[in-house]
Amino acid sequence: MGIENALRWLQNLQFPTNIRESSWLFPTIETIHVFALVLVVGSILTVDLRLLGFANRDRPFSHIAEEMLPLTWTAFAVAVTAGLLMFSSKALIYYNDVPFRIKMTCLVLAGLNMLGFHRIGARHVTKWDAGKPPAAARLAGAASVLLWAIIVGAGRWIGFTT
Amino acid sequence: MIEEFCDWLSATSISVAFQSAGWFVPIIQTIHIIAISIFLISVYLISFRLIGLTRFRSPVAMITARSAPWIWGALSVLLATGVLLTVTEPARELLNWVFRAKMVLVLLLAGLLLVVQRSLSGNPLYWDESPARQLAARSAGIAALMIGAGIVTAGRWIAYVQ
Repeated sequence: MGIENALRWLQNLQFPTNIRESSWLFPTIETIHVFALVLVVGSILTVDLRLLGFANRDRPFSHIAEEMLPLTWTAFAVAVTAGLLMFSSKALIYYNDVPFRIKMTCLVLAGLNMLGFHRIGARHVTKWDAGKPPAAARLAGAASVLLWAIIVGAGRWIGFTT
Repeated sequence: MIEEFCDWLSATSISVAFQSAGWFVPIIQTIHIIAISIFLISVYLISFRLIGLTRFRSPVAMITARSAPWIWGALSVLLATGVLLTVTEPARELLNWVFRAKMVLVLLLAGLLLVVQRSLSGNPLYWDESPARQLAARSAGIAALMIGAGIVTAGRWIAYVQ
């Protein structure tokens, strides 16, 4: 099968092999991944909590979003890089791992949710910026909380199955 | 002595019940990680404000007061989930020097946050009043970020140092 051969080729490259065979390289990359993901989840949850009206109700939504956005993207870039490195070290195993697949699916869904929010929910943001967001925006916030909770859980579960 | 306590604890019916439920540790760890996200984002916001790097320059007293319920709420959840995890696997935590180092770091960070909070509730301009205080504020912000990173690192390395 094409994909399995490609993944086998990937994990047999020099650096992925080094990661897999080293006693400290994988844990170090994983630690960076965990630190980055904690900031991704925290910054996204901060925005979601504002959308749902649980926090920072007296501050404009756009302020919260602008404050968190650079952190979310930077931390996400670091998390993805570390994730790709870890994936490359045991590509076939992760590819076939159920919680890994759940995590990747939910990451895509979370991304689509964010896109949908920017296109639809946030379209007239200046109208509700200082107050209560409309239903579409609140729904996106709730979906985001749920998806990221699953992503964290699935991510932790990978550690128990691989 | 601690070893005997661990032996006793891991033999209690509640510990045995937690140990037998395969899903228990992963789910409690997931809640633990989400609580870390909330906690660390709050620490990040206060630290960046103390260092002077924030976009909106809200008064540091306001940021600290606003973050307080989230910080102490998240810490309570972290303590509760941490206790549950330790009850389930006492030796994994209590006999591990990395875990003990993590606890020291947690106490240090909590203490630092408490000092910052207390000083500002008495005088919102406390850290602005002199160049020495401003330098101290910057140092406190940097220290908080580094200790936070240390806590996350130690948390992950408990599993690798047995």
